[in-house]
Amino acid sequence: MKRLVFALAALLSPALAHAANDVALTSAVFVEKTVLANGQQKIVLEEPSLVVPGDKLVFVLNYRNRGATPATDFVVTNPMPGAVAFQSSPDQAAVVSIDGGRSWGTLSSLKVKESDGTVRGARPEDVTHVRWTFAKAIPAGQGGKLSFRGVVR
Amino acid sequence: MTSKTRLLLAAGAVAGVAGASPALAGGTTAGTSITNNVTVNYQVGGVAQNAVTASNSFTVDRKVDLTIVETGNATTSVSPGQTVAVTTFAVTNTSNEVLDFALTAAQLTGGSAPHGGTDNFNVTGLAVYVDTNGNGVYNAGTDLAATYVDELGIDATRTVFVVAAVPLGQATGDKAAVSLTATAREGGTATSQGAAISQTSGANTSGKDTVFTDGAGTDDAARDGAFSARDDYTVAAASLTVAKTSTVISDPVNGATDPKMIPGAVVEYCIAVTNAAGGAAASNVAISDPLPSQTTYLASGPGSIGIMLGGTVTGGVCNADGASGGSFASNTVSGTLASVPAGSSSTLRFRVTVN
Repeated sequence: MKRLVFALAALLSPALAHAANDVALTSAVFVEKTVLANGQQKIVLEEPSLVVPGDKLVFVLNYRNRGATPATDFVVTNPMPGAVAFQSSPDQAAVVSIDGGRSWGTLSSLKVKESDGTVRGARPEDVTHVRWTFAKAIPAGQGGKLSFRGVVR
Repeated sequence: MTSKTRLLLAAGAVAGVAGASPALAGGTTAGTSITNNVTVNYQVGGVAQNAVTASNSFTVDRKVDLTIVETGNATTSVSPGQTVAVTTFAVTNTSNEVLDFALTAAQLTGGSAPHGGTDNFNVTGLAVYVDTNGNGVYNAGTDLAATYVDELGIDATRTVFVVAAVPLGQATGDKAAVSLTATAREGGTATSQGAAISQTSGANTSGKDTVFTDGAGTDDAARDGAFSARDDYTVAAASLTVAKTSTVISDPVNGATDPKMIPGAVVEYCIAVTNAAGGAAASNVAISDPLPSQTTYLASGPGSIGIMLGGTVTGGVCNADGASGGSFASNTVSGTLASVPAGSSSTLRFRVTVN
């Protein structure tokens, strides 16, 4: 298991403080590449400058409550870009939709009805939206990040 | 800042790739911009605030990938002297862009043939044809000679034929191996071959870069924008031997009982054509037998059998079978055996009288 460190400071630059809203939000995407370093395979995340179908992507969403009061009923919604197939999110709170955001649930709880009438369990590539719903308020000055994985179709 | 999540390189994520990959042969078209939008809805003091959005986008680059498969995975059986000997390949564009593919066919010199045995001769007049009418079978005059596959779509496959002639005199089991190499060229202009493609070198650009992702074929390297496959021709020749035997049927004195070869005796000639086992059937085997001046062809009357074609041989002895046919002219008996399969014999029989 690896821990990946991002240059979050750059992503949450002070320039954002001028925004009118009390919540700052950024979206970043990285490409997961396997490189050989000292004869050992190593997985690194790179800027998406060279991306071809089949590449694994990591989407990172950074949020921060810059207001003076706690933000409640905090919901982050991310529709999947059409050319990206969802894979997984490490966040337990993440729920997904496979019908354009009408219904939500964990992937294993969702069913897909095929054109021939058969019903099967939803697969990651069926996902159309990812959503995180926070049970607790985000205290003033606090933030965090969310992430999910996808693959370029 | 508190990081609420940790990115885990979980095994489950790797398994997810396998599940998603079948749809990725060609994949998203090169140059497509992928934009991710995210929205936050929240409340402050129990009052819904304006949603906050963020987005980012990147461009899908061009991967150049292709495969060639030798169709049928079997050798092409040919006859010596065959002028149109066809091997069949399927070229598939697994790139994420419509491309042209330059085609070159080559002979192998020696070495192992792809379907067993050793390459020991060269075919002649090697040419490449594309399956113009898309029926998967070479149609002379319809499928056109080509140096490239024009505008092959993403994940599309085109059948390509390598056509050659087989020299006369090749023996059964002789093999000639050929290879077909396809090299990706720029697409976009129909009915003309696009420019050569090279990988984007140096630093990545924000635009559409090019990456070769093809594997190594039989005659090319991995990630060279080309792919290749081999096939071979195997000669199946007919190897004919001819034996002529004669038998006394009757003579004027002894009749059919222990006849002797005296003037007036009836003699049956049998010409047996044998095709060696393991080769090809010989068809239209023409036989002509000028009669010796001391004999007279027995065209009709008692003891005549006319000319019998296609009879059988048992233990080296001609059987009294076959069907009437052939002709007699200029004191020569002629007949044509329609087919002599490998490993069998066929006969021409007729009778004469001794002068």
